[in-house]
Amino acid sequence: MSVVWIWILKAVLIYGGVLTLAAGMTLAERKVSAWIQWRIGPNRVGPWGLLQPLADGVKFIFKEEVLPEGANPLLFRLAPILAAGPAMMAIAVIPFAGDLTIFGVHTTLSITDLDISSLYVVAISGMGVYGVILGGWSSNSKYSLLGGLRASAQMVSYELSLILAMLAVVVLAGSLDLRVIVADQAGSILQWNLWRQPLAFFLFLVAAFAECNRHPFDFAECEPELVGGFHTEYSSMKFALFFLGEYCAMIVMSSMLTTLFLGGPEVPFWRAAPWFVQLAAFLAKTSVFLFLFLWVRWTLPRLRFDQLMRLGWKVMLPLALANVFVTGLVASF
Amino acid sequence: MVIVKRKELSLAERLYLPEIARALSMTFRALFKPKVTRQYPEEPLPKTPVMRGQPRLLMLDDGKSLACVSCGLCEIACPAYAITIDGHETERFIEREPERFEIDMLRCILCGFCEEACPKDAIFMSDELELADFTRQSLVYGIDKLKRPRAALQQRIDYFYKANDRWRKRSSTS
Repeated sequence: MSVVWIWILKAVLIYGGVLTLAAGMTLAERKVSAWIQWRIGPNRVGPWGLLQPLADGVKFIFKEEVLPEGANPLLFRLAPILAAGPAMMAIAVIPFAGDLTIFGVHTTLSITDLDISSLYVVAISGMGVYGVILGGWSSNSKYSLLGGLRASAQMVSYELSLILAMLAVVVLAGSLDLRVIVADQAGSILQWNLWRQPLAFFLFLVAAFAECNRHPFDFAECEPELVGGFHTEYSSMKFALFFLGEYCAMIVMSSMLTTLFLGGPEVPFWRAAPWFVQLAAFLAKTSVFLFLFLWVRWTLPRLRFDQLMRLGWKVMLPLALANVFVTGLVASF
Repeated sequence: MVIVKRKELSLAERLYLPEIARALSMTFRALFKPKVTRQYPEEPLPKTPVMRGQPRLLMLDDGKSLACVSCGLCEIACPAYAITIDGHETERFIEREPERFEIDMLRCILCGFCEEACPKDAIFMSDELELADFTRQSLVYGIDKLKRPRAALQQRIDYFYKANDRWRKRSSTS
């Protein structure tokens, strides 16, 4: 079997898995929110409500599509694609597991391997904000516009800290390739960047929350103030695409946290683990962060917009710069 | 004018992080708390005789005829104009019974005035609460949907008599 077919097979399998995970996250979000509020959560569709995402999907497809009066039809339709597309594209370079052999072809369990894969992820996931801005602007609604504006300001402020936090890890590994960064953390648990770069880990975590527009930084949505923010005017499958993009972005950011700071698919105390054990380890580490996303959402209140900006520019950015500076000094001597 | 004294925040509180950790631990413990949700159709609300459900007509013990004599007092007492009665004569010892007795369940406000007004103890507030259908017309209940045997209403009848005993005794002695 040729290499191209292996590629296509991997792409189909990984995207299928990620989209299933994103659908599962919508259910997990409702379940976790329910448990935290002493409720049970969805449990009518299928056992323990497991088919709820399917029912939601069918409902979304059959909902009416509304195009607001005065909206820009082209951009209004383009925005959900721009929101969901980049988040899914960024998954392409995440190393889910190490070497494996399918039908006699030796390959790795990620859709593709780039030399600059970490740069690719931040570049592509930074595009996600265009969907939000265009969605807010083209809806011809003041709430949507405000949501889009806030999202753009927030993304610019936090993307800096995100990339600077990642830079410290890149300096340690000496490469932008995620596989090299993973290999750099191999060995023992103490080799994980979580212990070598605790500040960078923390900064990346907080910036990832802002990057995904999740609580406590969900200024693009901001239900109480802005009705629904950028997706106020959206309905039907377009709205579902925004949602899918948000959950895919969460999965990407959790995977990046795992890869950069928790040793990716490395299994502690088992160097030569087979690929499926590595995949399980990767998913276990990632699901910790995915749970953290939900957990924080139902714990913390939303920041005020000026607090968000102050935190981004006056706390996170200097800390990230100092971290890169110190790491660079240590690495060069 | 009142000057509100703000509490001076300590460094740990101004950093937010310890407080965030505390909040997270609180919500994490909440995950395992016993659930308060009531699974409604499977787990119905507890019912007591004091509760006023939808009004129902009491059937006599012969299982055919109603206790109602279509006097129309409940129709007059009803503040929502939900009751409509047409009476006619019968061959029985009690000479009158309703030919048509309709309660528009969409108008009924479950106040219980009909039950109080009834001189023949023929209408009672049952423990039935669920009300759902697809048309307005089907929610105007006729006699066939309203009549209930004594056993179904016994709890409410006992409670009703007990609650009204003091008035009954006075009227019987005077």
